[in-house]
Amino acid sequence: MVKKNLSGNEAVAQAALAAGAKIICGYPGTPSSEVIGSIWQKDIPGVTVEWSTNEKVALEIAAAGAWAGQRTLCTMKMSGLNVAYDSLISVVYSGCTGGMVLYVCDDPGVAAGMPEQDVRGFAQMSDIPVLEPCSVQESYQMIKYAFELSEQVGGVVMVRSVTSVSQSHAIIDVPEEPPFSAREPQLIRDIHKYTKAGAKICMDQHADLLARLDAAQDIITRDKLNILELGQKDGLGIISVGVVNTYVKEALELAAAHGIKTGGYSWLQVKNSNPLPEHEIRQMLEHCSKVVVLEENEPYVERGVYLTAYQLGKLLPITGKLNEVLSKINSYDAVTVLKGITAALGVAMPAELAEPYTEAEALCAARPIGVCAGCPHRGVYIALNNAVKKLGYKKDDVMITGDIGCTILGMSPPFHTLWTEVAMGASVAMAQGFVHAGVKTPVFSTMGDSTFMHAGMPPLLNAVQQNVNMTAIIMDNGWTAMTGMQVNANTASEFQQNETKVRVDVERIIRGLGVEQLFICDPYDLPKLTETLVEAAKLPGVKVVLTRRECAIQAGRRKIKYGTMHVDTDKCINCKICINTTGCPALVWDGEKVFIDQAQCNGCGICTSICPKDAIVKEGK
Amino acid sequence: MKKLDIYLVGCGGQGILTIAELITRAAEAKGVNANFFPTKGMAQRGGFVKAELRLGPETVGPDIHAGGADLVIAMELSESLKALRYLKKGGDFVVYGYNWLPTDVMLGKADYPQVEDVKAAAAKIGAHTVYLDPGELPEGAADNIYLLAAAVKQSCLGELFSAEDIENAIVKRWPKGADRNQASFAAGLAAQGK
Repeated sequence: MVKKNLSGNEAVAQAALAAGAKIICGYPGTPSSEVIGSIWQKDIPGVTVEWSTNEKVALEIAAAGAWAGQRTLCTMKMSGLNVAYDSLISVVYSGCTGGMVLYVCDDPGVAAGMPEQDVRGFAQMSDIPVLEPCSVQESYQMIKYAFELSEQVGGVVMVRSVTSVSQSHAIIDVPEEPPFSAREPQLIRDIHKYTKAGAKICMDQHADLLARLDAAQDIITRDKLNILELGQKDGLGIISVGVVNTYVKEALELAAAHGIKTGGYSWLQVKNSNPLPEHEIRQMLEHCSKVVVLEENEPYVERGVYLTAYQLGKLLPITGKLNEVLSKINSYDAVTVLKGITAALGVAMPAELAEPYTEAEALCAARPIGVCAGCPHRGVYIALNNAVKKLGYKKDDVMITGDIGCTILGMSPPFHTLWTEVAMGASVAMAQGFVHAGVKTPVFSTMGDSTFMHAGMPPLLNAVQQNVNMTAIIMDNGWTAMTGMQVNANTASEFQQNETKVRVDVERIIRGLGVEQLFICDPYDLPKLTETLVEAAKLPGVKVVLTRRECAIQAGRRKIKYGTMHVDTDKCINCKICINTTGCPALVWDGEKVFIDQAQCNGCGICTSICPKDAIVKEGK
Repeated sequence: MKKLDIYLVGCGGQGILTIAELITRAAEAKGVNANFFPTKGMAQRGGFVKAELRLGPETVGPDIHAGGADLVIAMELSESLKALRYLKKGGDFVVYGYNWLPTDVMLGKADYPQVEDVKAAAAKIGAHTVYLDPGELPEGAADNIYLLAAAVKQSCLGELFSAEDIENAIVKRWPKGADRNQASFAAGLAAQGK
């Protein structure tokens, strides 16, 4: 054993490599990004580590790799599985020969944004096993176990993590093992397994799929993956799932510290939520007089417990979400667990734990999320706001749809530019829908370059074909920025993974989709961009405004400055329009004067064209 | 093994996650179990950042429950208020009183808490407050290292680690810039919390 300090996601990457994964691919998404992020630049011989164009593409690559007999890992955040699911459901009906592990991170408590969904629902729909690591250590172990299980049953296995596990760092034991021996790829022609044409093929595959799930259940039961400790007969039964397993002992200590008697409780630690550990659940239900089920998000295990109790004919009280004690919302901790336990026991929660001290945080100053100093997106939001005004409209008259990623920050103050955020690439089709709905004012959409590559091409093609009167703004900053600066196809050649990779210029794609009216602008040139947007809005049909400037954070890391700004104090009248309009963190009001924080300013110059007195001066380039 | 739960808050770019990382490294060197859960979210420079550091138990959930932290380390005055929900009654509250003003505060459109407000809010749960005045930070010192030193000297962090344990972790982390960091650390050890 070697001790290593790893995050949950890093542990997943290391375990996959140790298990002999030949392909590791996915699309960035907090909280899952560091699996690929931690090994992308490592140039591991014989292993393909890839940021794919989107999650569906990644899943198909991983599936074919596993069909060729290799071990493959596919990673994504929960929203990514919504995109990839069309292929997943088809792939799981076929199964695989090499081990295929799908690693998906849910985000209970919403640290990163997007719906607080529970991907285990997809696993139930597709009848695949789900393993739920409770810690960094278990993240490592479960990935290795998942590869073994996948090959034993011949099907895909999902490992479902959550933000608090995937983002945690811990010192874990990593076994020293001989390297996995490389396999030769194999091509298997079996249309009965690998195509879907025909009722017999599909229903045979369905039967095979269900048989694989049964086989997985037998293996998991045999391996005692789920841990059952039976206590006093007719006492309390505690069923905890995934990360919640780690809070039970702490909650019982809290109970003891507050004089709450939990008796000789029984405890089932659920490590796989699909198929349910029915064998252990039955044992617990037969043994206990009341049960509490503790799991974050949806009550998948809890529903299974009700069902098993019904089948057993034992109608004991079951505490959890379905009797409205616990919530589907937010992540859990030891107090949440204690809340479930006390409710099951019919005793009161200790008052000081039931009501947290929240008076202090009410005094805290609001800190809205905004865009970084020098961010090129700032220019787009301000120019859009200016263009709306120049076109003779009020802000509330003009629909501007937003999209996923940093570009959505235009919803925030001081811009208040964007109205909607739906899913990757949705802004263009949403804009089209508003036009078809009969909106007579101009309709704009906004989207970043990585989002465009991911899912923005089909809706733009659709808008071109349907000849919709709208203006799509594609904000090209050269990076997949919000998830921590990954590359996409449009990222400059010098930053691609290695010299064999090919950069695809987003401009060529836009033209290739049949866009005739393409305007290319520098988002730092506010007057020009505003004028272009006004002109574009007046033209019929689909117009694309492509704004191009590298992400300020990435350029800043290479010490790129576009000039030095200063405030001419003779001209400045302290109107603070610059701060109010741009919200740029590099513009500071110290109570007496406005000045530039040179440590933050990259010389983008957007503020120079905002100042009504020309008091902000740019020197240099 | 002794347990210690630490809740850390600040703004992106201040180095609050570095403090947590250094304590984690000191734990690793001492063979103390550690789970370090940072939440960066969408925090660019200036956004709210928090980290939860749980030391001692072999298996521990990543999240500290409300009223559960032995120690809060905060690097920004207003954000320190968000951590008080998680501090135990009578716990240690180590605050570096830097004011990172949101735009609306800077423009006089919104309020910002005073040091006295923060101290009073902490006093309501009987916290042992160690307030460090940014005005007393020695010229050129790294404020996060200074704060970490003050924490090991004046809070329960010192029950698990000696000043030397922490200093070793710092020197090992940045062998090159050791002088400046050691000077910052020494200044923090000598700092008088109020």
